[in-house]
Amino acid sequence: MKLRATTSRVLRFAASRLGLIILLVLYAIPIIWMVATSLKSNVAIFANPASLVFSPTFSAYAKIWTQGTLGTAALNSVIIAVSTMVLTLLIAIPAAYGLDRARGAFLSVGLALLVLFQMVPQTASVIPLYRILGTWKLLGSLAGVILADTAMLTPFTVLIIRPFVRSVPVELEEAAEIDGAGTLTSFVRVVLPLIANGIATAAAIVFILAWGEFLYAISFLSNPQSYPISALISQEISSYGTSWSGLMALAVVGSLPILLVYIVAQRRLASGLSLGAVK
Amino acid sequence: MTTMRPSQRHRPRRSPRGLRRRKNRKRLRFALFLVPAVIYLGLLGVYPLINLLLMSVSKVDAGNIVQGSWPFVGLGNAGQLIHLSDFQQSLPVTIVYVLVVVGVGMLGGLAAAVVLEQPGYLAGAVLALMVFTWAMPPVVLGSLWKFLLLPHGLVNSVLMGLGLDSQPIYWLVRRVLALLSVALVNSWAVVPFTALVYRAALLDVPPDVIDAARVDGATGWQQFLFIKLPLLLPVTLILTILTVVYGFRSFDFIYVMTYGGPGTATTTLPFLSYRLSFINYNFGLGSAVAILTILVVAGLAYAYVRITRRTEGS
Repeated sequence: MKLRATTSRVLRFAASRLGLIILLVLYAIPIIWMVATSLKSNVAIFANPASLVFSPTFSAYAKIWTQGTLGTAALNSVIIAVSTMVLTLLIAIPAAYGLDRARGAFLSVGLALLVLFQMVPQTASVIPLYRILGTWKLLGSLAGVILADTAMLTPFTVLIIRPFVRSVPVELEEAAEIDGAGTLTSFVRVVLPLIANGIATAAAIVFILAWGEFLYAISFLSNPQSYPISALISQEISSYGTSWSGLMALAVVGSLPILLVYIVAQRRLASGLSLGAVK
Repeated sequence: MTTMRPSQRHRPRRSPRGLRRRKNRKRLRFALFLVPAVIYLGLLGVYPLINLLLMSVSKVDAGNIVQGSWPFVGLGNAGQLIHLSDFQQSLPVTIVYVLVVVGVGMLGGLAAAVVLEQPGYLAGAVLALMVFTWAMPPVVLGSLWKFLLLPHGLVNSVLMGLGLDSQPIYWLVRRVLALLSVALVNSWAVVPFTALVYRAALLDVPPDVIDAARVDGATGWQQFLFIKLPLLLPVTLILTILTVVYGFRSFDFIYVMTYGGPGTATTTLPFLSYRLSFINYNFGLGSAVAILTILVVAGLAYAYVRITRRTEGS
């Protein structure tokens, strides 16, 4: 009896260790290969794309840098991601607050609509947005992409921030109002500091999603000069005779800001991810 | 159910009659906070959908999409669509794609969550790596896997090195294989998300329930099968809907890895609406497909709202 319990425990331990190693292989190896390939020469890749034995070179990075595409693309990515993040938060934070506090029909109808908007395929909204941004003379400008990205990410952001608002006791605001503060003042002074965590979580996720977005960018921007990195990668990969080392160098550079956000906000991302999904 | 538990709900206490009017005025003031969002989403969310609806019953091409008027064709687009072979083929493709993403994504996520539930440095590191993968731009992940799946790429080298195959497999060139490959890569990308949600739910299982079962002599496997799994059912239901939506909406991986091909082998319904519009410049027909994709998603959104409201108990 006791022996059986021990062997089953050993077996279980071995199985879970094996599981961890499988996960590690599945998720670490592709990223390692991306970095390794970006440090290979195209000749070495052509000879054997799977080999890990090679003399590392930064020529791919040097090439995408001197082609002049990388600098502008990185700048465009930063402009799009940061502007989208700021604009989305400006709209979504008050909305999350108003929606939660107004309660009743506002809340249930509002939440249902937000869920629906969040789920609309981007491939569907890109078609009429092309027309609308066209009539507004915003095709070809980063502003058009930012407006479209914000429309796509606002519903999701409200849904992420709302539970944080809900956890702030109404009594705190009432106390502030007894002290003479208006609704706006108590929102700014009392509620905002208490939902700072939620705002930071949402900010990180919006930045990540806006940074990776490319469908709006390739559809609304006619000139590749104004492409962000994500759009550049998507065009580079579908062209003939892909330079894999250059592409992987672009992919590494395009992932660096995500790594940065990830390092700063790792725990928030993990919890915000499951929170936004289920609530 | 979630990793963060916002403290209990603070409902305004029932107020005496005199206060009710003030409460109503207050609610109106809260509604004012919604104005920017309502205007913005009205202009760039609702208004586009109305436009899309109009386009789906009109003849719209590259010449008149931005300027000029759209000739009304009624259900002409829909009629044309039914006879379009690309459309007919996209239906089974979409179903297979979604089934693979949901099946592999959910089972993989559950398995990963069980594995990641154990304490320890390695589990923490693997979880961190998976969350980072989720955060990476899909366009990067798709390009990366296209590279790994080259005929002489890493995947084939490993398979041949292990003696599992004598010849390279043309993953993204053969029709059925391409569909499965892209769907599997997409599942790989969604597993970090499903694993995180499942892991949070597993950590929420009360330890005394497990202790009681252990005292009664339940083995680890029995504990999982008869106690944890039933408790995971509500999360599973919600997660299934979200994963169906995720797989159905998928665009990035298909665009980068196969561009809908070879032929139409990986052209799902949403991808078809994009292709018809922005590659064939038949915006009317593309809009008709897009409306169909929105209807699918609307049904899923309805189910999601119903279920979350019930499990939230409000």
